[in-house]
Amino acid sequence: MSSVAPEQVADQAVVDDGAAHRESIWAKAVYKLRRDRLGMIGLGVVLLYFVVAIGVWLGIWATEWGDVEGPKWAPMSAEYWFGTNIIGQDIFARAIYSTKTAFEVGLVVAVLSTIIGALLGALAGFFSGTWIDEIILWLKGVLDSIPFYLFVAAVAFALTGNPYAMHIAMVSTFWTTTGRLVRGEVIKLKNFEFVEAARAIGVPQVVIIFRHILPNTFHILLVQATIVFVAAIKSEVILSFLGLGVQDGVSWGLMIAESTQEVLAGFFNNFVWASVFLFGLVMAFNMFSDALQDALDPRKVASE
Amino acid sequence: MEVLQYAIRKLIGGIPLVLGVTFISFLLMVYFGPDKTYELLGKNPTQEQIDEIRHELGYDKPFMVRYGEYLKEMATLDFGASDSTGEPVSKVLARTVPISLALITPGFILGNLLGILLALIAAYHRSGPIDKYIMGFSVVGMSISFLIVVIAFQIIFSSSYGLNAFPVRGWNVHSFSDYLRYITVPTLATVFVALGYNTRFYRAVLVEEMTRDHVRTAKAFGTRPGKLLYKNILKNSMIPIITRIMFSIPLVVVSGSLIIESYFGIPGIGKVTYDAITTGDQPILKAVVGLTAVLFVITLLITDILYRVVDPRVSLK
Amino acid sequence: MSSEHTAPLLSVRNLVVEFSTRYGPVRAVDDISFDVYPNETVGIVGESGCGKTVTGLTLLQLIPMPPGRIVQGSIKFDGRDLTKLSEKEMQEMRGSDISMIFQEPMTALNPVFSVGNQMIDVLRRHKNLTRRQARELAINMLDTVGIPAPRKRIDEYPHQMSGGMRQRVMIAMALSCGPKLLIADEPTTALDVTTQAQVMEQIVKLQDEFHMSMILVTHDLGVVAESCDRAIVMYCGNIIETAAIDDLFHKPQHPYTRGLLDSIPRIREERVAELPIIRGIVPDLLHLPDGCRFADRCPRATDECRKDKPVVNIDPVTGNGVACYHPMG
Ligand SMILES: Nc1ncnc2c1ncn2[C@@H]1O[C@H](COP(=O)(O)OP(=O)(O)OP(=O)(O)O)[C@@H](O)[C@H]1O
Ligand SMILES: [Mg+2]
Repeated sequence: MSSVAPEQVADQAVVDDGAAHRESIWAKAVYKLRRDRLGMIGLGVVLLYFVVAIGVWLGIWATEWGDVEGPKWAPMSAEYWFGTNIIGQDIFARAIYSTKTAFEVGLVVAVLSTIIGALLGALAGFFSGTWIDEIILWLKGVLDSIPFYLFVAAVAFALTGNPYAMHIAMVSTFWTTTGRLVRGEVIKLKNFEFVEAARAIGVPQVVIIFRHILPNTFHILLVQATIVFVAAIKSEVILSFLGLGVQDGVSWGLMIAESTQEVLAGFFNNFVWASVFLFGLVMAFNMFSDALQDALDPRKVASE
Repeated sequence: MEVLQYAIRKLIGGIPLVLGVTFISFLLMVYFGPDKTYELLGKNPTQEQIDEIRHELGYDKPFMVRYGEYLKEMATLDFGASDSTGEPVSKVLARTVPISLALITPGFILGNLLGILLALIAAYHRSGPIDKYIMGFSVVGMSISFLIVVIAFQIIFSSSYGLNAFPVRGWNVHSFSDYLRYITVPTLATVFVALGYNTRFYRAVLVEEMTRDHVRTAKAFGTRPGKLLYKNILKNSMIPIITRIMFSIPLVVVSGSLIIESYFGIPGIGKVTYDAITTGDQPILKAVVGLTAVLFVITLLITDILYRVVDPRVSLK
Repeated sequence: MSSEHTAPLLSVRNLVVEFSTRYGPVRAVDDISFDVYPNETVGIVGESGCGKTVTGLTLLQLIPMPPGRIVQGSIKFDGRDLTKLSEKEMQEMRGSDISMIFQEPMTALNPVFSVGNQMIDVLRRHKNLTRRQARELAINMLDTVGIPAPRKRIDEYPHQMSGGMRQRVMIAMALSCGPKLLIADEPTTALDVTTQAQVMEQIVKLQDEFHMSMILVTHDLGVVAESCDRAIVMYCGNIIETAAIDDLFHKPQHPYTRGLLDSIPRIREERVAELPIIRGIVPDLLHLPDGCRFADRCPRATDECRKDKPVVNIDPVTGNGVACYHPMG
């Protein structure tokens, strides 16, 4: 003990303080979340969808999603549970397969935009008032001012043929809200004792940002990630309809897009089932996200 | 006078934003946008023909020069003529923007007004069954895709499988009753989709305001709950409400109308812009992007002035 | 003030207020009883968190429910039990029969309405007045509480006024309908020292003029000595001593009261916002001891104190009482 430099002791204390702050938030959140019945139902349904998606990914089921195997517009039957579409593909298999597509889009966009939002938000907040902050705020303002669908369309056409054009466009615009929230939180955290103490004993700024500040914004990131996930799969539907979305494979959005022809002819299976699958996942995610927000909102936690 | 000075300062302050938006859009839509060279050429063009066309289209100039020319066009409001149809851009805008506005304004206003109304009701009955129903309805509304709503409403209202009472698509408006017939289904769809988000947002704002000290004071002086909500709390909540409404305007005008216009085949600005992106109609794109950015800056300015109107603590300095 | 002839204006009996928290129920006010007589000023003192504000808010039925809940007890005001009134009847009462002034003048007024607008609302809520009449009355009230140029200031917004000025506006608002009881919850704590004295003086003067009773919640024993007829000392949600002001200051019975008095700074300028420090820490409301809640900090505590909680026994003649097995005598 006597050989430990005083800075190290102080540093340890600083870390503990930040960690204690975190722990109390998480302990309260888990407690509240487990009591939120709707939230837990939502989480259960999301996990169910996730298992379905994993199964598709592993090639266990819905492998025949692309096969033209049945007659055109077959009704619902034991063979084709949800019927077939305009060219005779099995709607059930396609709806199941699309679960994987939805998770791909949702996860890629949610994870990437959360990371970018966290980094840029933390930078802007930590250096608030300096030119770094100004530039990040300017970038955020610019991206927020470009109409979303035009932006995606533009990215899609600029990157013609790139299957990830849609993802890139979404990530470039979806990080801004996360960034703003993280920036606000970091500005608040910056003046907390444990950060000031860390600065006082000369902990490098990078370390302060990554070890002391960012972990304390994790509750914001988690909630934002769920919100972005939902936004991404909802946007995918519209983009696919506009012809800017998923390029290969199938998605609920593509199914709905192709169903616009079918509904005019009075065949609703494709439209209805794709809509039901999409609605189920988005609704469940929204319920979970709500519960998470309730559980993690520091203001609400503090008031009880 | 004070307001005017403020406005000028604010508009000048918006220049970086306009530059940023136009730069990024220009980069994506024009510089990396579709190349029209081969469309305009016959089969097996010679290198000279290619060069000539590229020169005509201005593709051979350096990026910054092209961007500079674009800024000059924008400053002088001289956007030229559409590549695809040859119609002057100003004419295209004058024809399509009013249609888009006529199409989306009723739904936009209704969606926000009804949202505030439902939020007031929910906040008044906070934690009670009525609140729970309204909030449950909002989450359901938020979870349904706009596209699904549009298609479902079209089946319900405009097809022979439903009421078959409204036109399926198009925009053939010669009288006010035509107008109502054409906007009904799109408006219902917009309101339905916006309502979930709006109600939730406005309720959160109102409930947050309800926890403030001055609300407790008002209660301690016997203010009735109804009056408390519509007078004390609503006015205090105006800043976030105004922010939300104002900032959605520029986006709704272009993005919001895009989906409805494409689906219902209505020749508004959203549709025209989308077509311009897909065909690389650069004069139109430049105009739309530039004007949207300017619209944003103006919105920012008006928003600030509105803040001043609702909150005496805000000063225009 | 003697209780023999007049009936009390306010009579609180066995009041218990509980908040449900995620750690379990918290009794912020635990079985308190006290009376307030017409024209009397009763001070409530005690450390932060002992339940003073909750007591005041409960009288007006203003504690947030949920999480709050009145578990038991009665609040008789002017012959009516406030705990049994409907919300509508309570609304009629608030601001007209009973008024309350809050601790934070900076946030207690609505920032987006002029002070006149807010005062007129209160007046017209409880009195049958036209806007014009209400405005004149409001201007008079502002004048009464010592706001210069009230005709001009009435149209100002709270942020254009100083803290002291805003608190005067609150007082004007509270008195405008002629309440019988004023609850002043630390009305001067947030103000600077000179303003504190002026505002306090104003309140005491107006209380006399308006013939009302007052419950004055404060940290400042000096203020209690100057302005109150009687004082209630609270500790952890309990009343541990109540006595006429002279008796309390000259013959404190409870060791806690004694401790409080001993630590008053002698020099008046050194008034402190918080109560002076007494050895030990206040027990947490979730983990209260079985016996006397002060026992762990008390120099006179015995085993008896730790076993059973002492209760306040009011002397019928003096009206004084203490909850202690070993009073200072
Ligand atoms: N809304 C609430 N939820 C849970 N507990 C509460 C709530 N309001 C008050 N309490 C608890 O009631 C107790 C008494 O609080 P109160 O505000 O009456 O204290 P006080 O004596 O006025 O203190 P101070 O001098 O700081 O104003 C506190 O321990 C507090 O934790
Ligand atoms: Mg208090």
